[in-house]
Amino acid sequence: MSDADHTDEFEPVQVFPTTEMDLRPGADDCYKCSTCDSECPVAAVDDDFPGPKFQGPEQWRLKRKDDAEIDDSVMSCSNCMRCDSACPSGVPLSQMHNTARGSYVENGMDKLSREYIRNRILSNYGTLAWFGSKVPRLTNFLMSSSVVQTVNERVMGITSEREFPEFAQQTFREWWEERGGNATSKKRASEAREQTGRGGAEVESDEKRVAYFHGCYSNYNTPEVGKAMVRVFESFGYEVMVPPQKCSGTPMFANGMLPDARRAAETNVAELSAAIEDGADIIASCTSCSLSLRQEYPELFDLDGIEDVSAHTYEALEYLRIHEDLSGALEESEIDSRKFAYHAPCHARNQGLAGQAIELLDGIEGAEAEDVGDSCSGISGTYGWKEEKYDTSMKIGAEMFHHMEDAEPDAGMTECPTCAMQMEHGTGYEIRHPLEVMEEALVD
Amino acid sequence: MAIEDDVLVIGGGLAGASAALGAARGGASVRLVTHKENTLRNASGLIDVLGYHGSDEPIAEPFEAIPDLPDEHPYRKVGVDAVREALALFDEVVGELYEGGHTERNALSPTYGGRIKPTSRYPTSAAAGLASKEGDTLLVGFETVTAFDAPLAAERLDPSVPFEVRGVTIAFPGDLRSDARITRLARALDADELTERGRRVGTREALAERVAEHLGDAERVGFPAVLGDEEHHEVRASLGGELGVPVFEVPMGPPSLPGMRLEDGLYEALDEEGVRVESGNPVVGYTEEGGRITAVSVDRGRREIPYHADQFVLATGGLVGKGIDSSREGVFEPVFGCHVPQPAERYEWFHDEAFDDQPYARFGVAVDGGLRPLDPEGRPEFSNLRAAGAVLGGYDMAREKSGSGVSLSTGLVAGRRASEDIQ
Amino acid sequence: MTDRVDALVVGGGSTGCGIARDLAMRGLSVTLVEQGNLTHGTTGRMHGLLHSGGRYAVSDKASARECIEENRVLREIAGHCVEMTGGLFVQLEDDPDEYFERKLEGCRECDIPAEVLTAEEAREREPYLTRDVKRAIAVPDGAVDPFRLCVANAADAVEHGARIETHAPVTDVLVEGGEVVGVEVEHESGPGKRVHKEPGTTEEIRAEHVINATGAWAGRVGEMAGVDVEVRPSKGVMVIMNVRQVDTVVNRCRKKGDADIVVPHETTAILGTTDVEVEDPEDYPEERWEVDLMIETLSELVPILAEARTIRSFWGVRPLYEPPGTGTTDPTDITRDFFLLDHEDRDSLPGMTSIVGGKFTTYRMMAEKISDHVCGKLDVSAECRTAEEPLPGSEDFSILRDYMDEFGLRSPIGRRSVQRLGSRADEVLKTMDPNPVVCDCEAVTRAEIRDAIEGAGSDLNAVRIRTRASMGNCQGGFCCHRMASELHPEYDAETVSAAWDELVQERWKGERHALWGEGLSQAALNYQLHGTTMSLDRAPEVAEFAAFDSGAETATGGGKSDGD
Repeated sequence: MSDADHTDEFEPVQVFPTTEMDLRPGADDCYKCSTCDSECPVAAVDDDFPGPKFQGPEQWRLKRKDDAEIDDSVMSCSNCMRCDSACPSGVPLSQMHNTARGSYVENGMDKLSREYIRNRILSNYGTLAWFGSKVPRLTNFLMSSSVVQTVNERVMGITSEREFPEFAQQTFREWWEERGGNATSKKRASEAREQTGRGGAEVESDEKRVAYFHGCYSNYNTPEVGKAMVRVFESFGYEVMVPPQKCSGTPMFANGMLPDARRAAETNVAELSAAIEDGADIIASCTSCSLSLRQEYPELFDLDGIEDVSAHTYEALEYLRIHEDLSGALEESEIDSRKFAYHAPCHARNQGLAGQAIELLDGIEGAEAEDVGDSCSGISGTYGWKEEKYDTSMKIGAEMFHHMEDAEPDAGMTECPTCAMQMEHGTGYEIRHPLEVMEEALVD
Repeated sequence: MAIEDDVLVIGGGLAGASAALGAARGGASVRLVTHKENTLRNASGLIDVLGYHGSDEPIAEPFEAIPDLPDEHPYRKVGVDAVREALALFDEVVGELYEGGHTERNALSPTYGGRIKPTSRYPTSAAAGLASKEGDTLLVGFETVTAFDAPLAAERLDPSVPFEVRGVTIAFPGDLRSDARITRLARALDADELTERGRRVGTREALAERVAEHLGDAERVGFPAVLGDEEHHEVRASLGGELGVPVFEVPMGPPSLPGMRLEDGLYEALDEEGVRVESGNPVVGYTEEGGRITAVSVDRGRREIPYHADQFVLATGGLVGKGIDSSREGVFEPVFGCHVPQPAERYEWFHDEAFDDQPYARFGVAVDGGLRPLDPEGRPEFSNLRAAGAVLGGYDMAREKSGSGVSLSTGLVAGRRASEDIQ
Repeated sequence: MTDRVDALVVGGGSTGCGIARDLAMRGLSVTLVEQGNLTHGTTGRMHGLLHSGGRYAVSDKASARECIEENRVLREIAGHCVEMTGGLFVQLEDDPDEYFERKLEGCRECDIPAEVLTAEEAREREPYLTRDVKRAIAVPDGAVDPFRLCVANAADAVEHGARIETHAPVTDVLVEGGEVVGVEVEHESGPGKRVHKEPGTTEEIRAEHVINATGAWAGRVGEMAGVDVEVRPSKGVMVIMNVRQVDTVVNRCRKKGDADIVVPHETTAILGTTDVEVEDPEDYPEERWEVDLMIETLSELVPILAEARTIRSFWGVRPLYEPPGTGTTDPTDITRDFFLLDHEDRDSLPGMTSIVGGKFTTYRMMAEKISDHVCGKLDVSAECRTAEEPLPGSEDFSILRDYMDEFGLRSPIGRRSVQRLGSRADEVLKTMDPNPVVCDCEAVTRAEIRDAIEGAGSDLNAVRIRTRASMGNCQGGFCCHRMASELHPEYDAETVSAAWDELVQERWKGERHALWGEGLSQAALNYQLHGTTMSLDRAPEVAEFAAFDSGAETATGGGKSDGD
């Protein structure tokens, strides 16, 4: 279903006094088929949420210039963005939701309310994690204490059902610096290129350079994913750079904290643009981070270089699959025999990447991968952390848990750190990132 | 080159799935790329082959009628046998999800508009409700599901069928908001959610209770197609058990749960057949060499990624699926720019009555016997491109009730031919 | 019925309804007959502009003054039908300065508040305006919903004792002893509210005075009475956009011409128009060039229109009139003023007055003048009160009140409902029953549809114009059947089916003029939904049921019931 000529693309402009943009023209594409509604995991379990068609094209079309008000149900949207990948007609649904949510928070939400403060904290996970990682043992101890969890739930509205993710003893960036930073990577990449090309891959030049957008989670909680990314890319001869960076904005969009997201975007766009100038493409290992840089950035902000950043951003496996003979290399590789139950994160689906991990894993000897279906995990970043959303989140996830258990795997697998949290929470399985398996298969 | 397959199918609806299965069974390595969700969930889930041709009287024997169709009709391109084979493949792939494969005759299904429609395969969930099966019928609607007014549908159906039809409107159990989506109702039944705090009664039982008082002499009970998603068999079984008569769904949509179930079934079959499926990004262009397509480019937001293959199948849908697009100046096929026959004058694209024989309904590419799209001179546009499903012109699926049959049969033939032609 | 009423008004457009209301409020017994729905003629086929008078400020200052006066009155008495959007006369780089200056002077002379905006200010107000804007004049133009206004006038007339008969075409004007004494009408479905499938009847309605307020059809009624009324109908196209690209009325500031105005109307924007004289107000060509011209010319002013979605087009006929012998050739030069034709003075035929020409914005003033005239004839001395008394729905109406939680509706649905219903919102929307949305595009709930059915009988097009249901993106594809369902069981299936079919056909009539891009996709989807999924295109009768598959013996879901 190709939409080759987007001749009807419009440039949103400032019309409404309180929102950034006029997205009414986006309603032109809606022909009311309700495919978005039927794909919405929240509307299927929560009738307080009237579905993306109402939230998006309908609510926007009903607006007049003086109407600032947004229906409060927009806060029940988990920003999984499945509506975007559902709509056969190109309605900018998530852009409409993000904008409406931003406007609702700006105008409709009490800045002193528990909900606002809680959401602000959750959406600024990076800042929270920065503090936590300074004293990881103490933080981990405190966060797992039942007293703290109860206080969190009562005072903050953060569910006590979940265990806080553990902070790593050494962040990815600390490891990277200790390892010698970019200079070391340059060296390793050039060594790899001097060896016989991997799987017959062509070794063109020493200009193979990528900038890694690790995001908060790989940095503070799962540095092993970041390390795997670095090693895998180096093994294909890529020199890795790790520019300074802030949160990609995903949790902020989901909570309507657009000013926070914009501030982070200013730093990211400046730093990543500089990396692009140096000849690098941007690689993310978290699919929400890559989606944000690709899609939400240019949809929501008007910053110098933002289009360029969007055009140069890739998810890690996607990049290798396009630029290298990744499947060829994997066919010659092997891992300890294991079965993985793979869940494709909604944000991977949104970038058209839902099938690649399974396809690649299938080629590795010893690896067995089973797709656990196309449902949403239900956590949607910070959504499932909210006390009032926890039940909804677990209802959405039920289908996936069920399929995981049916698969009887050795481990779960996904690209998204919060999906991983949910998978582990719902099934007890240990969850790996595909890059970690690639590392095992490809790096000696 | 990173992404390469024998056959690349563009489009993930019924035609694309059928093409991919056909090619994979022919031994090819197949990749299917689809942009967004397909239009299966817009359709009722009934598999129509040919319901009308030439008169207002429904066709009972569709295969007999196919040879009477005009030459440009897709069925005439593939032949009756291919239609039979495609349905056989469909029956095999969907298994228990569908019925109707025991005969070549059409069945009559009630529609949620209170009319009847000839169709060849029907979801198991709709089987008990056939209008061509006798049995006094109670239709049940829900107060908040405004798309289906059971008493009105019943009153419209009753005079035209040889049995009694009554209708009743009740409240869906569980105190849901009045704008709860269809998927929400389905989920409540799937999970058999408790309807009220304190009362340990599940949604299924509560629903059956509410229907029971209206049951009377009815020998079957029909509901709008909201009876569960994943657990639809169990939902129907428990309602039928409680009520003591068979329970069925009246096909409807969009959005259509039977369509979504069919989609799940097809994608499972694709997976089993080893077809690699990628969704989320549109095909926006191609490269060609000597009249052959060498690769198509897939748009991944601000950049295009080449997908190489030996053979290509275009199954992008019609005007609804956007496989055929238009502007004030004309109608076109957006991926390969294949020729779409059309009157030059826009005001000849339509007739003045809504249900006239509408020219626009027949818009699509014209093909040769091998389903290769033809240029204005009648020559194949590319030697390795075939088209299947609603992107084809020359038939009016709504008027004929032939949409699914055309998609399945042209898909199968296109996929098969593609696998045979691999160089 | 042989009772003689004081006044019989022929024509249920804005003028006719305005007259009926005015006379009824003055205590006269009034009957109004209309051949179709209320607004069936020109009223329902206009761009919905509430003139500030700015458009006439150069060419016709008298009209301009009347407009600004009535503009102020309507804001007071019909607040729920009016949206004060403001208007702009936009001068582009190549448009002449001289005309701009004359427009500005004209506005000032006619007491029309006018302010000159720089290009930046104009684009700040309307960001989709072209970058070629030179400057603009801001005036108090507004948007008005002619359907609701007309229906409110009729409802208030009924409140004051009038009888309104729609779908009652006049088949003869009764002339006895050289005097008009009434009319003969054909009730297509019997008198009273329209109910499909009811048998038709005819009725003679006698009156002291007959008022021919049939606009472009005035010549026909005149002919039945044996007098000449030289109306010169002129057609104009209106192209409806799916969303509002502008929130202000945008006029091109140059000398009269086709395609020079965009009016934000409810959820849409309306592009207008052409001006071509036609022979017959009911049978004239609706041509492609007119639609294309609107889009091409107006996208010079608002470029996004070139790519935006059009949902339908319709044509209206202006009831232009000029006194015999004026001999204007170009219809755009014919005056927009109205004329009261006293057939007693003019044709020595007492008992009838015709009103021709004029424009929507001044309908009330025209009605007042006619009513004064009729009262003079009938020797009634009551004063006109229509300028002071608010119309139903506009009493104590404040859009700002907190309506959201009151009706249990999502905020944009509540907001739109109240914008349409005005002060009637409470009465209509407060219900204990579930109140789902029936028309998603326009946010119309079941309660509002049912209220409209109460006023309109089984006529879904009349429900449509009261509520806007089926007037959005899908053009009825997803809601015609839902609207029809609301008629049932009050009306039986046969009646409902007829009303339903009529609505589907009426929607298609306008939709076929927007059959490209998204519009064609939508049409194809609607056709498949109505044809494939519902099978509405086929008769339900089947000759031989037994020839069809009745299910497999082993059918799992079907049980073993094969009937008797």
